[in-house]
Amino acid sequence: MNGQSFSHQGYYYDGRQPLRRSATLAFAAGEATLVWDGEPRQYGVSSTLVSPRVGSADRFISLPDGGQFQCADDPMLDLLPQHSKTEGAVAWLEQRVAVAVASVVLTVSLLVSGYEYGLPAAAKHVAAEIPIETEQALGEQALVWLDDSDWFKPSELDQDTQDRIRSEFEGLFAELSFAQHYRLAFRESRYIGANAFALPGGTIVITDDMVNLAESDQEVLAILAHEIGHVELRHVMRHVLQDSAVAVAAATITGDAATLSVAVAGLPSVVAQAEYSRDFEIEADDFAFELLRQHEMSPEAFATVMERVQADCECEPGALDFLSTHPVTGERIKRARAAAQDFEIY
Amino acid sequence: MSEADSVPVASPVDECAQPQELALEFRGSAQEYFHIWIVNLCLTLLTLGVFSAWAKVRKKRYFYSSITIDKTPFQYLAEPLPILKGRIIAVVLFAIYWFSSSFYLPALPWVLGAGMLIAPWVISRSAAFNARYSAFRNMTFQFRGNYLGAAQAIYWLGLIPVLVVGTMFEWWGHLQAAGIAFLVFFLLFPWWLSRVKHFMVSYASFGGERGEYSATGRQFFRVYFVAGLIVTGCGLLSAAAFWVVGPLSISSDWSLVIVSVPGYLGYMLGYAYIQANTNNLVWNHTRLGPLRFRSTLTGSGMGKLYFTNAVGIIVSLGLLTPWAVMRTLKYRADNMHVRVDGELSELTGGEISAVQAAGAELGAIFDVDLSL
Repeated sequence: MNGQSFSHQGYYYDGRQPLRRSATLAFAAGEATLVWDGEPRQYGVSSTLVSPRVGSADRFISLPDGGQFQCADDPMLDLLPQHSKTEGAVAWLEQRVAVAVASVVLTVSLLVSGYEYGLPAAAKHVAAEIPIETEQALGEQALVWLDDSDWFKPSELDQDTQDRIRSEFEGLFAELSFAQHYRLAFRESRYIGANAFALPGGTIVITDDMVNLAESDQEVLAILAHEIGHVELRHVMRHVLQDSAVAVAAATITGDAATLSVAVAGLPSVVAQAEYSRDFEIEADDFAFELLRQHEMSPEAFATVMERVQADCECEPGALDFLSTHPVTGERIKRARAAAQDFEIY
Repeated sequence: MSEADSVPVASPVDECAQPQELALEFRGSAQEYFHIWIVNLCLTLLTLGVFSAWAKVRKKRYFYSSITIDKTPFQYLAEPLPILKGRIIAVVLFAIYWFSSSFYLPALPWVLGAGMLIAPWVISRSAAFNARYSAFRNMTFQFRGNYLGAAQAIYWLGLIPVLVVGTMFEWWGHLQAAGIAFLVFFLLFPWWLSRVKHFMVSYASFGGERGEYSATGRQFFRVYFVAGLIVTGCGLLSAAAFWVVGPLSISSDWSLVIVSVPGYLGYMLGYAYIQANTNNLVWNHTRLGPLRFRSTLTGSGMGKLYFTNAVGIIVSLGLLTPWAVMRTLKYRADNMHVRVDGELSELTGGEISAVQAAGAELGAIFDVDLSL
């Protein structure tokens, strides 16, 4: 520093009034000399502080008497004491085209790999550490709420059918890790048709229409095995963990844009939720095929009952399929058939 | 702007005695901001979010230094470390809220109640933090609103806590009463918003002068009423589209898309109208010592901006975000006019008080940004 001298045209602000004064700041022999109204003022260079570089904006040099000097950016300013110790390195990175290009590549690959592998793996790991009991209260509340509302009515199936399915259901999960958490609830619903779903905490609800649509107990069990898969693989907890991580990441990335454009804020989360749901359905299917095999039942029952469900609701593929939470049913039937063929071989 | 050239640049003081318009210029560039944005985003991802405090500071520094009034850029002075500490506290509190809302609903009313208790603190602290670390011409802004003031402004004689707590514990008995309570709140919202803006402006100060605020709830109501008409009109268009498209035999998903387009555009336009006009309302009724402000944003201008931004961001898979941010800031700056009625020297610097960053960061993550 001592050996070099340079001077800058700029503006001086005294910090007492918001007035701009044209001034010159000259550096020589460890001294900074401010000239703005005839009488020069001298400061030790080591007691000045320069604001961080950002873009090509003007920089501010804080002077020891509380005044500030504004001038155009210049590499020479980096030789003075810096206000921020860490931001100089960041500014250096921000200045380079190659770094920007590398950042785009790195960001995209981090996002894609985190979304496809990192996040699902991490969520699986974390979910395994959280006891399933934490979900139970939520599942019980949900069932009470559904029963109180118009959605559910008590099942109209006769007691024998219920008892028979229940005992077969109990045989299915007897050796699984959450065996004491499984409950089976029969309900009549005029809104959701032939359907079955797993509530948080291990309660599985099956509608009368679903039981009636199935032509054998094996088909009912195939459906229940799929729902057991959701519970056993902790899909509720993993869903919550993954969705919240995606929401936080999306908020970070679109943060600037979200306030200016209502359209972009929620879109990544919606798409991600749909895709993760499809992955979980496939995972639960595979779990069900294996569970059925262990109990010497063919996954064929799953294929036939899914065909019936498909015929029942006449679902057609549409333009919004990428947002659908279930994989295309035809694909799942194909997978069940393939698993059934393996089963025949053994 | 021609006014810019008419301001003489001469020592010792470049001010005229006449009332004058100060040239407001936007100097940001999308290309420069793209560099800052992508580098900081990448580092944030690599550090699993730790770097986000630095990213916030870098971006705010760029935004502030892009806006100049009479050749002087604004300065953002906050340091990353206090912001990082605040963010850690905010993330812990947010995790508590998220967990209770996902898994333990009985605790949710208590968590929300605690949230209502700390909200005035968050609001007054984040405003104080932002003001303290914003500077113009070597003078920082100040915000002197405290917990009590914020609570009075946002809770309005306790009307809102009663409404919220009452709903949580089902005081209303049946749905109709709750519906009426919310309708009342909905209609009173413009007056509430004006109260909050009044609080934010009148406790903010610069150079020893406090903001003076003169907009009324009635003026806010007019803005929201017109926005309501816009949204309703487009909703009717949507209904008409449904009536036309319904009988045609196209895939149900596509007809859903066609039908929702006018409704969605209406929502966007209504949102833009509110943004533009409430912003104008606040600035045009704010004075600070000798400073007068005039904001000339329009609903259609803002709507066009939002629409093209959304299209650009979606088509580029997010890469045009910096471009969208910059043109929005430019539009806002181009429509902002600052006039001095008197002398700038009437404003004089005061003492500087340090503020903790925690409050400001809570405001950011819970999105309780009530600033101007």
